[in-house]
Amino acid sequence: MIELVNVPSLTTIQDLGRYSYQSFGVPVSGVMDEVSARLANYLVGNEDNTPLLEFVLHGPTIKFHSSAVFAIGGDVEVKLNGQPVEAWKSYWAKRGDILEIGILKSGMYGYIAFAGGIACEPILGSCSTYLRANFGKPLSSGDKLKLGYAILTGKEGKQLPKEFVPKYEKENTVRVILGPQEEHFTKRGIETFLTSEYTVTSESDRMGYRLEGPKIEHSDKGADIITDAIPPGSIQVPKNGKPIIMLADRQTTGGYAKIGVVARVDIPKVAQKRPGERIRFKAISIEKAQETLIRQEKLMKAIKFFLRGEMRAYKVKTFGEEIIAFTKIEKKK
Amino acid sequence: MLPKFKPAGDSAIAIIFGSEISEEINKKVHAVAETIEHASPEWLVEVVPTYTSVYVYYNPIKISYSEIVAALKPFLSAEPKKEEKRIVKIPVVYGGDFGPDIEFVAQYNNLTIDEVVEIHSKPLYRVYMLGFLPGFAYLGGMNERIATPRLEKPRLKVPAGSVGIAGRQTGWYAIESPGGWRLIGRTPLKTFDPTKSPPSIVKAGDYVKFVPIGEEKFWEIYKQEWGEEQ
Repeated sequence: MIELVNVPSLTTIQDLGRYSYQSFGVPVSGVMDEVSARLANYLVGNEDNTPLLEFVLHGPTIKFHSSAVFAIGGDVEVKLNGQPVEAWKSYWAKRGDILEIGILKSGMYGYIAFAGGIACEPILGSCSTYLRANFGKPLSSGDKLKLGYAILTGKEGKQLPKEFVPKYEKENTVRVILGPQEEHFTKRGIETFLTSEYTVTSESDRMGYRLEGPKIEHSDKGADIITDAIPPGSIQVPKNGKPIIMLADRQTTGGYAKIGVVARVDIPKVAQKRPGERIRFKAISIEKAQETLIRQEKLMKAIKFFLRGEMRAYKVKTFGEEIIAFTKIEKKK
Repeated sequence: MLPKFKPAGDSAIAIIFGSEISEEINKKVHAVAETIEHASPEWLVEVVPTYTSVYVYYNPIKISYSEIVAALKPFLSAEPKKEEKRIVKIPVVYGGDFGPDIEFVAQYNNLTIDEVVEIHSKPLYRVYMLGFLPGFAYLGGMNERIATPRLEKPRLKVPAGSVGIAGRQTGWYAIESPGGWRLIGRTPLKTFDPTKSPPSIVKAGDYVKFVPIGEEKFWEIYKQEWGEEQ
């Protein structure tokens, strides 16, 4: 069991989301940055969908009431019993140990994974906290959480190679698949969208990020559509012409025209943006977006097996470029 | 009009059946959505039917966009089943503390409170879709004679089960939330319960009939549904 002794910012239990209930109006929720969260889980030997803690900007202080293996995902200073330890590496904590997580140096969301995950009663098949419907609650000081059962041996001391540590940039170009309502915008409107710089405003939360920047012009069809579904990363443009990117806690349906949808591989980049940071949009074909996603998923799988000790990673030079390659470790018969 | 396919990002595809709200289009939407869900292909994540479109969420690792367009085509011929029309009865106490805005709705439309109740509880409402918040149903078929604008200032807390009117729309709050609808009544039913599967009392494609009840009946049902009286 762990105890939260200090919770300076919104901290919630999340997994990869609540699927199959959108047709009942239930939002998906789940982690904001899927890549960082999954990597943190891999470091402690967990599966992709294991419940973990997500915090905004400033991490909590945690007291261990039993031994556990943990790993922190995020660009942040971490102390165990006052001694600095690293993010993106798994450690063994004993009963009575105190884990202090500082303020993120870059990025917006950080993750704390525990071997075995956080035990919880799933609601509609998921442990993701969704505050608007009281599915779970924001964690506060004094809260005690049970961890799932796990064999701890051998799960500590795993480190994510620095090549794979996510970088949270202040500016990013985000790839977008245009549509499905591009006819609600003029040619000039789409050009404005693809050539301008947009700034994340402070009116941004787990539901979506509102952006400030040049106004996107609607066509004579207008800004409103007959309410339809909102996939993750949808960019809605209401009448004021300012885009809103819909994220984890987005409502399942909405009535503003969508100019495009962020490619899934780039959603974590958007989620890690802080108010004041900037985004540019670039059109990408659906084929290219899917290829890129498949490539990323292959890499994630390889990292997972590497951290489990089932694959070996080594550096190779091809065409003068250094890349990391993986090979399976053959088990001795 | 032939249905149109459109990518909605790299992990969802929209099948668009029309560009207006109509019962006929919506029936086709639900027939196709149900057939896809029932077939449950291995690449399927989930299906979300809306007023005029079906959004199919899929796993692009298992199927590409061009492949899914081809895979979905056979489903488009699905036709609504004729005999099945599920009617869900929603008991409602109108007025009083349960519906504090009913007087306003009556005055605004030059009607008596009894007339508002009669007009509101008469039709068979169609559930076009669910969305926005858990269990929120988009109902079609409210009589314009009781249409009333929203509150200028939304209430901070509307109890779950409250039945209201907003413009030409009617429905109920499935979960407690802030809200700007004119409240005319309240149902004792737990219309959304995340511990149940399905979690919502209605699903898209159902029909709803509001049945006026008295206060005594309200508390009787309420206790069965929610446990202790609150």
